[in-house]
Amino acid sequence: MQNKEKKVKKKKGGISYAKWGYIFILPFFITYFIWSFLPQVLTFVYSFFKIYTEGLTEVAPEFIGFGNYVDLFTKTIGDSKTPTILLYAGNTMIMWILGAVPQFLIALLLAVWFTNLRLNIKGQGFFKTVIYMPNLIMASAFSMLIWTVFNPTGPVHMILENANLVSKEYDLFFSVTWARGLVAGINFLMWFGNTTIVLMAGIMGIDNSLFEAALIDGANSRKVFFKITLPLLMPILTYAVITSLIGGINMYDVPYILSKGNGTPNNTTTTLIMFIQRLLGPSKDYGTAGAASVLVFIFSAVLSLIVFKFFISKDGMRDNTKKGGKRK
Amino acid sequence: MKKKLVTLVVLAAMILCMVAGCGKGSAKGESSNGGKTLNIYAWNEEFKGFFDKYYASKIPADVKVNWIINASDNGLYQQKLDEALKGQSKASADDKVDLFLAEADYITKYADSSYTLDISTIGVTDYSNMYDYTVKAASDSKGVVKGVSFQCCPSGLIYRRSIAKDLFGTDDPAAVQEKLNSWDKFEAVAADAKAKGYYMTASFAETYRVFSNNCTSAWVNSKNELHFDDQINAWIAQTDKFIENGYTLTAGVWDAEKQDQMYATGKTLCFFGPAWYFNFCMGNAQDPEKGCPGDWAVIEGPQAHFWGGTWMLAANGTDNADLVADIMKAFTVDEETVSNLVAKEGQYPNNKKVAAKYAEDPNFANAFLGGQNDVAVFSAMTDNIKWENHTIYDQQLNEGLQNKLQEFYKGAVSKEEAMNNFYNYVSETFKTIVINK
Repeated sequence: MQNKEKKVKKKKGGISYAKWGYIFILPFFITYFIWSFLPQVLTFVYSFFKIYTEGLTEVAPEFIGFGNYVDLFTKTIGDSKTPTILLYAGNTMIMWILGAVPQFLIALLLAVWFTNLRLNIKGQGFFKTVIYMPNLIMASAFSMLIWTVFNPTGPVHMILENANLVSKEYDLFFSVTWARGLVAGINFLMWFGNTTIVLMAGIMGIDNSLFEAALIDGANSRKVFFKITLPLLMPILTYAVITSLIGGINMYDVPYILSKGNGTPNNTTTTLIMFIQRLLGPSKDYGTAGAASVLVFIFSAVLSLIVFKFFISKDGMRDNTKKGGKRK
Repeated sequence: MKKKLVTLVVLAAMILCMVAGCGKGSAKGESSNGGKTLNIYAWNEEFKGFFDKYYASKIPADVKVNWIINASDNGLYQQKLDEALKGQSKASADDKVDLFLAEADYITKYADSSYTLDISTIGVTDYSNMYDYTVKAASDSKGVVKGVSFQCCPSGLIYRRSIAKDLFGTDDPAAVQEKLNSWDKFEAVAADAKAKGYYMTASFAETYRVFSNNCTSAWVNSKNELHFDDQINAWIAQTDKFIENGYTLTAGVWDAEKQDQMYATGKTLCFFGPAWYFNFCMGNAQDPEKGCPGDWAVIEGPQAHFWGGTWMLAANGTDNADLVADIMKAFTVDEETVSNLVAKEGQYPNNKKVAAKYAEDPNFANAFLGGQNDVAVFSAMTDNIKWENHTIYDQQLNEGLQNKLQEFYKGAVSKEEAMNNFYNYVSETFKTIVINK
């Protein structure tokens, strides 16, 4: 075996395949550097400047240190004590949690069912395609659809009206519960299929002999789930939760379209990114928007770390070294 | 060797694809001719419709017309247009903005900037038949004219004849005007209408423009402080009363709930709007099955005002200057095209001569308005239009105030919360406006 390899190497005259590998991935890194990394650095730099547009004239940048950050934490609505940015962060998290909790519960359940050898569900391919389907539709198109169905002249409103549950004048999008619930509902519908498939991959990666051994030892399904499936699924589950969390913090198009960009009612569906978009409106306030973006970045990093620590305790990590591919 | 070559080609292709996004070439100078693509920016299809019908055939065969249409909600149209105008000097010939449309709410921002051309330099010089306010609106602070409007937009009160008959016993425009010629009378009629099961208006913001375009001061004062004109306060006070008494609906001006009131089954007496309104925004009423064409009439109403209007501006750096000038002239000076706009499209033209021709024509009648000559009605109102107290902030402030107050009228927030949300919206949208509560 080793001899053969040596022969091949000699024949090719010492061509390093690794070099070509690097060259082929180079375009990605260049693209990333120019269109992602540099703008990120620029955003960070802008956050220390006063830079905005008045009418069609750009006002020259002026260094103001942490002025934009101070502004963000002192601006409140009316007599409220909560800075608006924290209010928007709260909205974002509430709507993410409302959607993510059912998303993960149902995805876990479906993943376990689909991978259960005893149930051996037929037509899996069909179901997997169907539950993944909502993810293929653009979020904005999906939101538009939901808006059309739930607005005061839409069919759902008419059904509720005929059942005497709401009055003709009642606008579901002006109720905090409905507005946030619909945003969460759309996110849930769009993402539970995706999560199911990721979790299924995770479960199928678990050694089947473990399940068989547990069954022979007389463990019931619940025991198998909590003692074998869940602990061994943790790395994948953590990955899914963190990506969902980051997606949640970046929530934008769904609440924007359902509230026509206004975050109605009473700014309860205004998310962090909607706020940043507002700052980039006619005033193109890159300074404050930059500062807000940096805060969102820090917020995502801290929350991701918390999730990571919470899901993967040190014990958990040790248990999973076998399949994580990380060897000590 | 061959493999290496292929690899290099693939690599080169990948890098080229990446770099292709960057624009090339730069052109200086103000305007030129011979461009092969005519780029027109607009926020809806209205003008495109007229253009395709009455002008497109005159475009030289080798010039392609490219419409870039972005909705104006939340300032999207302006955002896209601003980007394009700022990139104008670097854009390639085919990407240069040639002509763009602007509305009354924000025309000042573009007219009073270096991104638009003095249209006298490209040959549009005859403003004699245009209404003064349309020329003033498109002029910069030094009085240089930057664009023309193909519409003049005196706005009136459009009422349902059948409901008027039920309420007043007559649907004659002169008699109805007598009943509705002041806000006090308007409110009194609203109470009667309510008693008979009708709505006075179908949107809480229906009367907004009637008040806001009669403001005696601008949205911001000389110190750039946000300022509520008496007319705006009067609108809020009236709307509070109308919502409380159930005289109107909580829908916005463009909401489907309001549009539904235009069907034959609708229970609403009044809508407010100029000539473009019944042509472009009253589709439900025009519907041959569910609508009620002919059951409408237009009068001046409680207060003279104007609403909207579409101006054509020439972008600085256009490479189709002659064509742009010709389009501008066609829709304002060319009597044949302008007459088509009036007779076939129900527009009120920005050409006094053509307007007078139809206003005086006893045979000219608008079937949608039950045979009324709307040009004559609007003609009488044009003298009352003034162009003053406009700022570059108007669109967002007018929309923002309506949006935030709508939450109060829908019962989602208290009035104080609604006003605080408006102040917050202003401070997030405009960096420079000072808010003193």
